[in-house]
Amino acid sequence: MRTPSGLAGAAIVALMLVLAVVGPPIWGDRAELIDPVAALQGVSAAHPLGTDNLGRDILARVLVAARLSLLLAALATAIGAAIGVVLGTLPSVLPRRLGRLVSSTVSALVAFPGLLLAMFTAVVAGLGARGAVLGIGVALAPAFARLTQTLAASIAGSDFVAAARMLGVSKATIVRRHVLPNIAEPLILNLTVMIGASLVGLAGMSFLGLGVQAPGYDWGRLLFDGFARIYVNPMVALGPAFMVVLAGLGFNLMGEALAKSATRSTVPKGAAPAAPAPEAGEADPEAVLEVRNLTVTFPGGVTPVREVSLTVGPGEIVGLVGESGSGKSLTAYAVGGLVPYPGVVGGGPVLLDGQDVHALPATERRKLLGTSLAMVFQDPMASLNPALKVGGQLAEVATVHQGATRAEAWQRAVDRLGHVRISEPARRARQHPHQLSGGMRQRAVIAMGLMGVPRLIIADEPTTGLDVTVQREILRLLREVTEESAAATLFISHDMAVVGSLCDRVVVMYAGRVVEELPADRLVSGAAHPYTRALVASVPDMSADRSLPLASIPGRQPGPAEVGEGCAFAERCALSTDRCTATRPPLEEHGKAHRVACWEAS
Amino acid sequence: MIIKGLTVRFGAFTAVDDVTLEVPEGRIVGLVGESGSGKSTLARAVSGLVPYTGEIVDGDGVQMVFQDPYASLNPRMTVGASVAEGLRRPTPADVERLLGLVSLPPQLASRYPRELSGGMRQRVAIARALGASPRLLVADEITSALDVSVQGAVLNLVRGLRAELGLSMLFISHNLAVVRYVADEIAVMREGRVVEHGPTRQVVETPAHPYTRDLLAAVPRLPAP
Amino acid sequence: MFVLRRLLRFAAGLAALMAATFAMIHLIPGDPVRAALGPQAPPDLIAARRAALGLDDSLVRQFLDYVGGVLAGDFGTSFLSGEPVGQIVMDRLPNTLSLAVLATLVSLLVGVPLGLWAAIRTENGRNRGTEVGFTTGTGAAVAVPEFLYSIALVVVFAVVLGWLPPAGKAGALSYLLPVAALSIGPAALIARLVRAETARELGKDYVRLARAKRLPAARVHLGHVLPNALTATLTTGGLLLGGLIAGSVLVESVFAWPGLGMRMTEAITQKDFPVAQGVILVYGAIVLVVNTAVDLALAVLDPKSTIKES
Repeated sequence: MRTPSGLAGAAIVALMLVLAVVGPPIWGDRAELIDPVAALQGVSAAHPLGTDNLGRDILARVLVAARLSLLLAALATAIGAAIGVVLGTLPSVLPRRLGRLVSSTVSALVAFPGLLLAMFTAVVAGLGARGAVLGIGVALAPAFARLTQTLAASIAGSDFVAAARMLGVSKATIVRRHVLPNIAEPLILNLTVMIGASLVGLAGMSFLGLGVQAPGYDWGRLLFDGFARIYVNPMVALGPAFMVVLAGLGFNLMGEALAKSATRSTVPKGAAPAAPAPEAGEADPEAVLEVRNLTVTFPGGVTPVREVSLTVGPGEIVGLVGESGSGKSLTAYAVGGLVPYPGVVGGGPVLLDGQDVHALPATERRKLLGTSLAMVFQDPMASLNPALKVGGQLAEVATVHQGATRAEAWQRAVDRLGHVRISEPARRARQHPHQLSGGMRQRAVIAMGLMGVPRLIIADEPTTGLDVTVQREILRLLREVTEESAAATLFISHDMAVVGSLCDRVVVMYAGRVVEELPADRLVSGAAHPYTRALVASVPDMSADRSLPLASIPGRQPGPAEVGEGCAFAERCALSTDRCTATRPPLEEHGKAHRVACWEAS
Repeated sequence: MIIKGLTVRFGAFTAVDDVTLEVPEGRIVGLVGESGSGKSTLARAVSGLVPYTGEIVDGDGVQMVFQDPYASLNPRMTVGASVAEGLRRPTPADVERLLGLVSLPPQLASRYPRELSGGMRQRVAIARALGASPRLLVADEITSALDVSVQGAVLNLVRGLRAELGLSMLFISHNLAVVRYVADEIAVMREGRVVEHGPTRQVVETPAHPYTRDLLAAVPRLPAP
Repeated sequence: MFVLRRLLRFAAGLAALMAATFAMIHLIPGDPVRAALGPQAPPDLIAARRAALGLDDSLVRQFLDYVGGVLAGDFGTSFLSGEPVGQIVMDRLPNTLSLAVLATLVSLLVGVPLGLWAAIRTENGRNRGTEVGFTTGTGAAVAVPEFLYSIALVVVFAVVLGWLPPAGKAGALSYLLPVAALSIGPAALIARLVRAETARELGKDYVRLARAKRLPAARVHLGHVLPNALTATLTTGGLLLGGLIAGSVLVESVFAWPGLGMRMTEAITQKDFPVAQGVILVYGAIVLVVNTAVDLALAVLDPKSTIKES
C-alpha cells in the first residue's frame, strides 16, 4: 500500500469522497443558476469551464455531479457484488448438476463483453439512471461471481476444510469459520477496483444518452451535453472527462495497491558488498572442479553461502547434503554461474579443469560452460520446456555452441537420447515433454547435458519426486555418465541414504558453511560432526534398529542473516561448550580424506 | 477396522480396485506403493473424503493427517482454535492436554500457523486429529514435506502415541524404510490393488510378491561400515 | 472430442442468446410498440404494427417464428424506417469489424513486446524504477475508458492541431484516431498480462536450464519463454477481440463512425426495438464465434492444451 501509486490512489479517492459530501451544499445553487445572457459561453474568468445552453456554470456542475456519479457507481457495485456473490456461491450449495450449470453459465457470461450485458439490461429496464445502474451492476456480476467461485473452491478443496469435515464440523460452520474469513479480504479489496469500473461504465452509459437524463446530471451526462460543442469549446467536455478519469484512476490504483499489499511479503533492501576473498590455497592439479572460499551474498546482510571450498576429481560424485536453507543448492548454482539477481558471488576462484571460470572473457565463458556444464533439476517436467519438442531442446546446444547444422544437431540429439537408454529415440525426439514419463524426462535432461562433453554435472535433488524404482535407474545413469565422461559431479540431496549409496564423498553443509567432508562409506560409523551424526540417525534406513527412537535435532537452523560469531550449530548441539558459542571452529583435517569443523569432534 | 472390497473410480479410471485390508486394534499398518498406486486415494476413501463402493466395517471415528502441514491448517485460526475443532465443548485445559500429547508447549495455543515451523505444524495437525478421539488415524505421507532434521522427531511421536494411547493407524508412505520403522504390518499397493500384506519383518525379509522384491531392491541403502 | 464439446457449447450459447434477445422485447414493461411510436400514435397504426410483428400470437408461436426467422436471415424490420434489420447489419458490420480487428492487432503488437521487455528488465526485482513506472503507467492506461481516449484524441489531433479528421469514415487516415483510442487500454492490459506470465515462466527450471546451457539471451526469451507466456495471453487476446467489438460502440459514437454500434445506440434511444434486438443478437453471436474460434485455435496450437473445462 505504501507505493507511490497506492498513495496517489488513496489521496484521489479521499478527495472524491470529500467532494461528494461538500459539493452540493457549496456549489449547488451556482450549478442551478440559469443565466440566459451567459448561455453557451467558452472559458472565461467567471466561468473557468464555460457555461451550458442555459448559462449555468459548468465547473460548479462538474463539482456538484461528484455526489451523484459516486453514488450511482456505489449502487451499481453493490448490485454487481450481490449478484456475483450469490452466483459464485450457488455452485457449492446446489446439487452437483445444477451447480455445474450455474458455473458454466457464469463462465460463458464472463467471456461476454460487459457493455453488451449493460445495454441489454438497460433496454429492458428503460432509459435513465435506474436502467444504467442495473445494467452496469449486471455487467460486473459475472466477473465477481467467477472470483468468488474460484476463491471459495480453492478454500473448500483445502486440507484444513477436509480435516474439519472429518472432525464432524457442520457445513454451515465450515462456511462461517473457514471459507468466509479466507475469501472476504480478496473480495473486499476487489470492490475498490469494481467501483472504479462502474464509475467509468456509468459515465459511458450516460455519454451514450442511455444513463442519467436531464434535468439530472452526472459526469457522463455533462460529457454528453458538452461533446456536441467540442469543436468550438473543447473545455466544456474536458472538465467532466477529467473528473471521470481522475476518479476511475484513483479507485483503480488504490484497489491494486491494496490487493498487492495483501499478498506481497517485504523484500529486504540495501546491498551488502561481497565479502573479500580470503587468500586461495594451492590448486590441486588432479581436480576437475576446484572451488576456493566461495561466498554468496544477498542485499541486507543475507549470506547463504560462506567461504565454501570444494574439490571434485575426474569421475567423482560428491554429495552436498544439509537441510533446506543450508546453502547447498546456492553453492552449486554459484559454481555454475547461475545465482539469481540480486545475489552476488564473492571469493573464488572457481577452477574448471584448471581454468578460472569467472576470469574468462564473457564469450569464452559462455562457450565453455555451455558445452561442459550439465544440470539436472528436481522436477523433470519443469526443466523441459513444455512448448518445444524434446529433440529441439537438446539440439539447440549443438547449433548455438558447436556450430552444427540443424540436421547434424538433431542427429546428435537422437543419438544422445539413445545413449541414456530412451527407447525409440528418433520418435521420442519428435515428441513434447508431456508425452514422456517422469523417468524418461529426467533421462532426456541428462542427455541434454551430454550434447557437449560434460566436465561438471550439477544434479539438484534429481530423484526426489521420482519413484524408488525409477530413482534407482536415474542414479545408475548418473554414475555411468560421470565415469565415462570423467566429469566432476555435484549431487545435491537431503536424502542421506541416496547420497550414501551413490556418492564417493559427502560434503555436509550447515547454515552456509561446510561442517564436515568425508568419504561416503564412513557416513554411518565414521562421521565426526554431531550434526552429521544426527542427520544420519534422524531418518531411518532399511537397517535402522526398530527398538530405538530416532535421533531428533531440537531447535532450528539459523537463517542466512542470523549467523553469529561462534559455531552455528552450537545452539542445537548436545556437546556445545562456551568455546563453541564464542569461536567458530575451523574446518580441519580429521584423518584420511576427512575434514571436520567442530571443537568437540571425536 | 476392516475394509472389504473397496473400489474407487474416477470416471473411467479405477484408482482403487477391490481392496480388502484389516487394520487391527492398536496396530500400525503401513501402506507403501509408488505414485499412482492408489494409496492416497484409499486413505481418502477410508476417511470419507471420496465416494467409494464396497464395505468398511467399524469405519467411524477415522481422522486423517495430511502431507502438507502448510495447507492443512487454516491460516486465520489460532493453533488453539484449530486443535479445539474436534472437541465437543473445548476448554483451555483440553487444548493444553492435546498440545502436551504432541509435545508442544501450551503457550502455542494463541499463535497462528504462520509463526510455526513445518514440524510444529504437523504436530498441531496430529493434536487436532487426536481431539476427536479417533479409533483410527490415517497418516498420509506426513513426513515427506518435512526437513530431514525433524522427520525423526515426528516418527518418534507417531510411535509414542501408539504406545501411549493404543492408537490404530494406517500409515502411508512411499518410503519403505520409514514404513518399516514405524509399522507393525506392511501392505504393498500397486495399480490400485494390494499385492502383498503381512507382518513387517516378513514382508521386508521374505517378500512373497515379485513387485515387493523389486521395490525392496530399489531402496537406496547407506553403505555398511 | 474437445472440438465436439466446444461446438456443442457454442450451439447452447447461441440458443441462450436467441432466447435472451427474444425475451428482451417481452420484458420491456408496457407495450413496446406504443413506447416506440409515442402516446399520440393512432390506435389503428399501433394495432397494425402489432399484428405485423406477430405480437398478438401466443408466446411459443412467436418464439418459434423468431428463431425460424433468424435462422433464415430475417432479423425483423425497423419500427421507424421500415428497413429490414438484416440489411442494416450487412451495411454496418464491416465498418465495426475492421475497427475491432485492427485494434486487436495493434494492441497485441504493442502489448506483447512491451510486457516481455518489462518482465525481463524487472526479473527478480531488478530495476525497481521500471517496475513502478510500468505498473503505474499501464494501470492508469487500463483505468481510462476508450471513449475518453477518443475525446482526448479528437481534441488534440483534430480540433487543436487539425491534423486528422475529427469524425466519419473517409480513407485510411480516418482509421488512425478510432483505432488508437480503442487500442490503448487493451494494449496496456496485454502488456501487464504478458509481464505477469513471463515473470512466472522466467522462474521455472527450464529457463534455468536454458541459461545453464548458456543460450543467448534472445534465444532464451524469444525461443523458450515467449511461446509459453503467449498461451495465456492469446486466450485473453481472443476475449479482447470480443470486448473490442463491444467497446467500439462508444468509440463509434464519438467519431460518428458508421458502424453497428452507432446504429444500436440510436435504436435504443429512439426505442426502435427490433433494430436494437437484431443488433444485440449479432454482437452476441460474433462474440460467441470469436471465443469458440480462440479456444479451438489454442487447442490446435498448444500440444498439451490445458484449457480448463468449466
